[in-house]
Amino acid sequence: MFKKKVTLKILLLLIACDILETALHFFFKKSALAQSNKVIVDLATAVEFLRATFTSPFLWMGLFTVAAVFIIWSTVLTKIDLSVAVPIASFSYILVPLVSIIFLHEQVTVLRWLGVLFVLAGVILVSLSSKERLEQVK
Amino acid sequence: MKQGLLAVLSLIALTSLCDTINQLFLKSAIDSLNFTPTFNIIKIFKFIFKLISNPRLWLGFGFSSISLCIWLVVLSKADLNFAFSADSMHYIFIALASRFVLKEKMSTRRWLGTGLIMVGIVFVSLS
Repeated sequence: MFKKKVTLKILLLLIACDILETALHFFFKKSALAQSNKVIVDLATAVEFLRATFTSPFLWMGLFTVAAVFIIWSTVLTKIDLSVAVPIASFSYILVPLVSIIFLHEQVTVLRWLGVLFVLAGVILVSLSSKERLEQVK
Repeated sequence: MKQGLLAVLSLIALTSLCDTINQLFLKSAIDSLNFTPTFNIIKIFKFIFKLISNPRLWLGFGFSSISLCIWLVVLSKADLNFAFSADSMHYIFIALASRFVLKEKMSTRRWLGTGLIMVGIVFVSLS
């Protein structure tokens, strides 16, 4: 049950997950950004917002990427332990702010980077405990 | 600005909650099938067929669609880098749901990780 060895193929697939995960959030952001001037106050305006967003090609690229990540991720998880896969696949926490700065011209303060590091450390810690639980069961 | 932040954070909490409910439905749908990993193609297809005919799977799918819609509203108002990090609050909901709904055992290490995520979200929101 405990598959720990990261082969080059698995590493590349996990890096692909990082990049695709970052890309899909970028796509969703692009599709929503085009409608940022819309004010949502009731159901009718919400429906109008969603209708406009769902006509964006970016949204469909995002959904397509979600499916791709899901397939790659499920495949990888049959080959390797979750406690190894999650830390490698969590680089999107770093990639998303980088993409936000470069392509979306967002500001990321030092405090926010610090927050990102805390979240990343937390996610890795949670994933490491999955191994621990399995060993207890064993 | 302060009020806007609160509204966005509440919406992010709502998407995370929908995600968590989706996960609970998926988990209960899959657990009810008592599946053991196999390479037998026929068994795999039978499993997939039973899974897609399970209403709990579709309930989960419904919640994940709601989550996507709210997420798009969030992204139209907030910075991506903020929303993405703040969205990891689903780890907190999942931890609580695992402990109190599914009655799973939670190790100290896992609570510690969940706590770090919480601290991270506070920092991300303050800036």
